[in-house]
Amino acid sequence: MFFGLGILRGMNITLMNFIRSYTRKRGSGEIGALTTVQYPEERLPEKEKFRNFPFLIYDDKPEDLRCVACDICAQDCPPRCIYIVKETDEAGKPMKKPAVFDIDFTVCMNCGICEEVCPFDAIFMDHEFEIADSDRHDKLLYHRDDLLKTNEHFHKIRPNDGREVDTRLAEAKEAKAKKDEARKKAAEAKAAAKAKAEAEKATEAKEDKPPETEKESDPQ
Amino acid sequence: MPQLEFLIKCGVYGLMGLGIIAAVGAVLLPNLFHAGLALAFVLVTIAGIFMSVGAEFLGMVQILLYVGGVMTLIIYTIMLTGRLGAKDVRAQNRQGIFAAIAAGFFVCWIGPLILKTGAWPQRESDSAPPLLSVEDLGMSLMTEYVFPFEVLGVLLFAVLIGAIVIARQDRPS
Amino acid sequence: MDQMFVNIKAALVGLSDKVFPDWVGVLVSIAVSIVAIALLGPLIMMYLTLIERKVVARMQNRIGPNRVGKYGLLQPLADGVKMLIKEDIVPRNADKVLHLLAPILIVAPALLVFAVLPFGRNMTAVDLNVGILFFAAISSIGTIGIFMAAWGSNNKFSVLGGMRSVAQMISYEIPMVMSVVPVLLAVGSLSTNAIVEAQADWHWFVFTPWGFLGCVIFFLCGVAECNRSPFDLAEAESEIIAGFHTEYSGMKFALFYMAEFMSAFTISGMTTTLFLGGWQGPLLPSWLWFFLKTYGLIFIMLWFRATLPRLRVDQLMALAWKFLLPLSLVNIVATCIWHFLSDEAFFTPAAFLVPLALLVFSYWGLMKLNQPYMPEKRVYPLVD
Repeated sequence: MFFGLGILRGMNITLMNFIRSYTRKRGSGEIGALTTVQYPEERLPEKEKFRNFPFLIYDDKPEDLRCVACDICAQDCPPRCIYIVKETDEAGKPMKKPAVFDIDFTVCMNCGICEEVCPFDAIFMDHEFEIADSDRHDKLLYHRDDLLKTNEHFHKIRPNDGREVDTRLAEAKEAKAKKDEARKKAAEAKAAAKAKAEAEKATEAKEDKPPETEKESDPQ
Repeated sequence: MPQLEFLIKCGVYGLMGLGIIAAVGAVLLPNLFHAGLALAFVLVTIAGIFMSVGAEFLGMVQILLYVGGVMTLIIYTIMLTGRLGAKDVRAQNRQGIFAAIAAGFFVCWIGPLILKTGAWPQRESDSAPPLLSVEDLGMSLMTEYVFPFEVLGVLLFAVLIGAIVIARQDRPS
Repeated sequence: MDQMFVNIKAALVGLSDKVFPDWVGVLVSIAVSIVAIALLGPLIMMYLTLIERKVVARMQNRIGPNRVGKYGLLQPLADGVKMLIKEDIVPRNADKVLHLLAPILIVAPALLVFAVLPFGRNMTAVDLNVGILFFAAISSIGTIGIFMAAWGSNNKFSVLGGMRSVAQMISYEIPMVMSVVPVLLAVGSLSTNAIVEAQADWHWFVFTPWGFLGCVIFFLCGVAECNRSPFDLAEAESEIIAGFHTEYSGMKFALFYMAEFMSAFTISGMTTTLFLGGWQGPLLPSWLWFFLKTYGLIFIMLWFRATLPRLRVDQLMALAWKFLLPLSLVNIVATCIWHFLSDEAFFTPAAFLVPLALLVFSYWGLMKLNQPYMPEKRVYPLVD
C-alpha cells in the first residue's frame, strides 16, 4: 500500500469507462457502454404506468363522454387546475354533462389524483408529454374538445388498465341493470301491492265510509 | 533604427507617467483596497521600467516577490480586516507633515544622484560591458555576499518559526 | 513542414521589407507574433471546452455535445454567441470599476504566458533569458485579478471564493517553483528554449527519478494554480455557489472561463517544456510534438476532473505544505546527487539508483509522517 493507490484505482475505472465507451456497443447494457438515447430520433419504449397530463375519455361518439361534471376532480386537484361548468338544458336545468371542462397544463403537476378520485372512470392520465408551446396562455389551456380521446386510445397506451376499467364498467352496468330490474320488480311488486292495498282499501272504504266519496263530490 | 527607439521611448515615458499617476492614487485614494491595488500597479510599472533597461531578472523578481507575494498579502490583510470597506472608515491619517519632511529628505538625498546619472537613455557605448547575468548574480551571492545571504536566511527562518508559534492553537491544559 | 509557421512569418516580414522601410519590418514581425498568440489563446480555450465536455461525457458513459455541427464541432461558436448576447448584470452595490477590470486583468496574464512557450523549433514568441521566471511571475499576477473580482462583486460568496483561491495559489506557488529548480540546476539556464534544447536525443528529464517526481509535483501544483478539479475549492458549487465569479454573467463570465482554460493549457505546455522534452521528438514536426504532449497532459487534467472528488480546505493545505514542499526540497538534493554521480552522462546506473533510493525513502517517510489519525475500530460488546 502506498499513498495515492486509491486515486490510481479510481482513475483506472474512469479510463476503462472512457475506452469502453468507444469499443462497446451503445445501449448494449454492458459495463462502460454508452447509455445515451438520442431522444428526438430514438425513444425508450413507453412504460404502461407512465403518467402525464390527463385526458377525457369517451366511448363511441364524442358527445357521450363518461364525465358527468360532478366536479369531484376539480375539488380534489391540488393545484386546482381543472375548471368545470355543467351543461344546462333549455329550461335551465343542469344536465349530467360538462359544458366547459378546462385543464391548465401550465399548472397541472401530473399527480394523477383526478384519475383516482373519478367515480365514473372518465379522466385518465395520458402518455403525451410533448406539449411544449411558445404561448403559455392560450395554447396550454386545454378545453373540453382538446382533451377528448377515445377508449381505444386508452387501450392502446394502457392495455391492462383499459381491460380492468372495462370489466369494472361492464360489471357496474350489469349490476346496475340487475339493480334496475330488481328495483323495477320491487316497484312493480310495490305498485301491485299498493294497487292491491288500495283496492282493498277502496273496498273497505266502500264498505265502511261511503260518505267520503260523497263528501268529495260535494263541492262539485 | 531611430523610429523604433522613439517608439520605445514613448512607451517607457508612458509607463513612467502611469506609474506616477498610480502612485498618487495609492496615496490619495479614499478606499484602502483601491489604494492597495494602485500600489500593486506602481510596482508593475516599475518592473516594466526595469525590463525596458535590460534588467529582466530584476523586473521579474520585482513582479514575483512584490506583486505576487507582498501585495497579495497586503490586500489579503485589508480584506480580512473587518469593516474596512465601509464608507465611514477613515483611510487617511494626520501624519502628512512628517511624511512631507521625510520625503523632502529623501529627495535631497537621491536628487543629486539622479542629476549625476545624465541623460536617459544611455548610449550603447556607455553600457558596453555586458550587464550582470543571472549566473553572475548567483555566483556573487554564493561567494562574495554569502554572509549577508546566510544572515537573511536565518532571519527569515526565525520569522517562519515565529509565525508558526503565533498561529499555533493553545492546547487546553 | 517543421518550419512551416516560421517560414510564413519570414515571408510576411520579407513582403513588408520590400515595400516599407526596415523598421516597419520589425513591427510587422512583432505584430505577427502577437496576432498569432492572441488568436491561438481563445481558439485553444474554445476547443478545450468542447474537448472537456466530450472526454468527461465519455468517462461518464454519455456522448457529450453532438448536435451543433458534425460531432459538435461548432458547439464552441454556439456557446460564444450565447455568451455574447446574454445580459450583462452588475450588482447595484458592486465596485463598478473593479468589477469591470477584474476579468480583463485575469485574462491578460494567462495570455501573456503564451509568449514564452516554445511551440516548436524557433517558435518561441519572445525568447526571454528569464523565461521560467517570467512564467512564475506573470501567473502570480492572476491573484490580484481574483482579488478584484471578489471584492468588486460585493458578495460574501465572492469574497470567500477569492480568499480560498488566493490562499491556494500562494501555497501551491512555492512547491511549484521549487520543483522547477532541479531543471534549472540541470540545464543552467532560465530560458525555455535552452531547456528544450538540453533535452535533445530522448534526454527528457521525466526519465530521471528527480525529473519524474518534479514533473508530478509541478503538474499537480499547476492544476491547483488554475483552480481545476480536484483543487477547485474556490468555485465549489455546493459550498460557495461559484466563488469569485458568482456575480458575473455573459461575456465577463466567459473571460474567467477563458483564463482558466488558457492557464490549463499553459501549465500543460510548461510541464511539457520543462520535463517532457518540449517539442523534441522523432519523425513528426516539432510543433506537432509539442501539441501532442500538451494535449496528453490536458487529457490527464480532464481525467482528474472526471474521477476525483473535491479536496477539503485542510487537506489541500496539508498536501501543499506537508507533502509536496518537503518532497520538492528533497528533489533538489537528489538532483545535485544525480549531477555529481552522472558526470555529464544522462544515464548511469549509480546516478539513477542513488537519487531514486533517496526519493523513495523520503516519499515513504513523509507518507508515514502524514498518516492521518485513524481511531481504532469501535467494538460494540453488547451487540456481538
